[in-house]
Amino acid sequence: MQKSSGLERASYIYTNRLQVARELKMQGEKFGGYLCCYVPVEMLSAAGYVPFRIIGDMNEPITNADAYLPSVMCPFYRSCLDLGLKGKYDFLDGLVSPHACDAAERVGLVWRSYFKYPFTFYLDIPHTVHASALVFFKQQLAHLRKGLEEYTGLKITDNDLKKQIKLFNRQRELVRQLYHLRKVEPPPVSGTEVLQLAVSLMGLPVQEGNLLAEEVIKEVKTRKMKPSKMKGRVLVWGCLIDNTAITSLIEDCGLEVVMDDTAIGSRTFGHDVELTEDPLDGLALRYLEKIVCPRTFRETGKNRANDLENRFSYLRKIVKDWHIDGIYMNLIRNCDIHGYEVPEVRYFFEEIGMPVLVIEQDYSTAALAPLRTRFQAFAESIEANR
Amino acid sequence: MFFAGLDVGSTMTKIVIRKDSGDYLSIIKPTGAEHRRFVDKVMTEALYKAKLSFEQIDYIVATGYGRVNVPFADTQLSEITCHMKGVNWLYPSVRTIIDIGGQDSKGIKVKNGKTNSFVMNDKCAAGTGRFLEVMAELLGMKLEEIGEMALRSGNPVAISKMCTVFARQEVLLRLSDGAALEDILAGLHQALAARIFSMVSKIGIEREVVLTGGGAKNAGLVKFLEERLGFSVQKPDEPLLTGALGASLAAQEIAQKAVADGAMPKQKNHTLTPASFFEEMPSVN
Repeated sequence: MQKSSGLERASYIYTNRLQVARELKMQGEKFGGYLCCYVPVEMLSAAGYVPFRIIGDMNEPITNADAYLPSVMCPFYRSCLDLGLKGKYDFLDGLVSPHACDAAERVGLVWRSYFKYPFTFYLDIPHTVHASALVFFKQQLAHLRKGLEEYTGLKITDNDLKKQIKLFNRQRELVRQLYHLRKVEPPPVSGTEVLQLAVSLMGLPVQEGNLLAEEVIKEVKTRKMKPSKMKGRVLVWGCLIDNTAITSLIEDCGLEVVMDDTAIGSRTFGHDVELTEDPLDGLALRYLEKIVCPRTFRETGKNRANDLENRFSYLRKIVKDWHIDGIYMNLIRNCDIHGYEVPEVRYFFEEIGMPVLVIEQDYSTAALAPLRTRFQAFAESIEANR
Repeated sequence: MFFAGLDVGSTMTKIVIRKDSGDYLSIIKPTGAEHRRFVDKVMTEALYKAKLSFEQIDYIVATGYGRVNVPFADTQLSEITCHMKGVNWLYPSVRTIIDIGGQDSKGIKVKNGKTNSFVMNDKCAAGTGRFLEVMAELLGMKLEEIGEMALRSGNPVAISKMCTVFARQEVLLRLSDGAALEDILAGLHQALAARIFSMVSKIGIEREVVLTGGGAKNAGLVKFLEERLGFSVQKPDEPLLTGALGASLAAQEIAQKAVADGAMPKQKNHTLTPASFFEEMPSVN
């Protein structure tokens, strides 16, 4: 593993994520597990934990979790719990489970009840961005800090937090650099490769992750690209994609995944934390207000047109800057928060002339084959209309 | 020049061979379980009917769910694109295509002869021809008979469940209540029409609407769908053929563009062979 570098190493870590974590643990690292992109990783890192994003596995049938959670719930979170119940995450030293969506909350509750980690914390995240919600969320972050201090016996100073904020800002900036490199045609790095890096970064110590991201950027910048035979450039909107089986399927069908608005992607790496005097202010603002996920309600505008413009104009900018030809709206089955948002987002995209493909997928690689026809047809229609 | 379009569907394999002048002939055979072995036989038969040799065909496009198992095809295209091309050629004024196949159903919105948007049913049998196959079997009737019989109903029975398995239970319950066969069939067709209508509504239904696939051959389904839409729909004389027809049109477009670009239209020199199963592949030794 030490010999490889850049994209090859990212691919290795992506594929062997749990094994890599276990190896690091043998070398003395501690791992703080967390669900969703709303948990401030800076806090875990400042307390001496490697923040480890818990994700599911589309290749692993959900068998154990169904005894604890109803099957009407999102299969991504059911898969997360299933892996936990099967012992795949037993190297974790703690867990921060947020009230991100109902599914994340339930999984966190079951997880904390059945796996006796030395440290667990329930992070309450408001569903609005009003001033009072920010005050509340900042208080939650203070509780998390205190909880971590009490458990580890270490003081987390403002300077510790600021140091971590700088390191993670650097990481986010590096991933954004990679995103920017995909603005040209042909993009020098594929959606699959970017996903491999993103998933790798969510399980590595921050400095190691930053080195990896720097290597990847260096490698990508020197790539010699031939003109592409692809049929169109797509933006992925939706909950999340954590498995390259989906990006590969899309890319196999002739579509380039060049940008995303998803939870393992631009929602994680999109915005920096402002270095405020009290670091909790910057963290609260970044994690509550700047992450745009439909789990958070935003009251904007006096009428519908105004509301759409205020909520989604950033998507128009992405479409323009990344030269997008079509939108893939990726829904994981039973994700109601994204499902409810589809009609408005779809309308917004169609109004700016974007073809849209909406798929509600089952979060299972075994169920991907029937989607090939849809992606192929979408690619053909984009090519014909280009 | 000659072009072929092959549509290997879940139930039927359809082939259209066309001349650049526009004349075409077609053949339709049941796909069966072993379409990999079967498709070259249907092709041989189509060629025999056309009095052509395989070498005389300039370009072949395969479509349908079995498109990946046509080793002698030059290009594979999705059935969405092919249906759209085929229907648009037959009905230039078409805006919405509703295709009801044996395994899936789909809605395609057409603008300027191109696919504007499309929608397909989810992976289950609800909203597809399979739903009616299961019900015909349950009622001991032939698939071809049930549509006509549904039309004789004066009092359709409401079927609330669209899941094929649950709807089957509901039918059994209605039978035990003593409901008339035609009323149950009418209810089933109404339920299917409602399901398809709501699916296609997602892309916005505009006239003209053309109905294709095996479902278009069912008079009951056509009537209940028209009731739901509030206007009449168009049906090709042979609604099973539009995918293969579109594939042959695509083959013509690709080949003629290649000729215009000064290239050989047929890039691959395949022979007419069946696709092999993995275990039949020659061993390394």
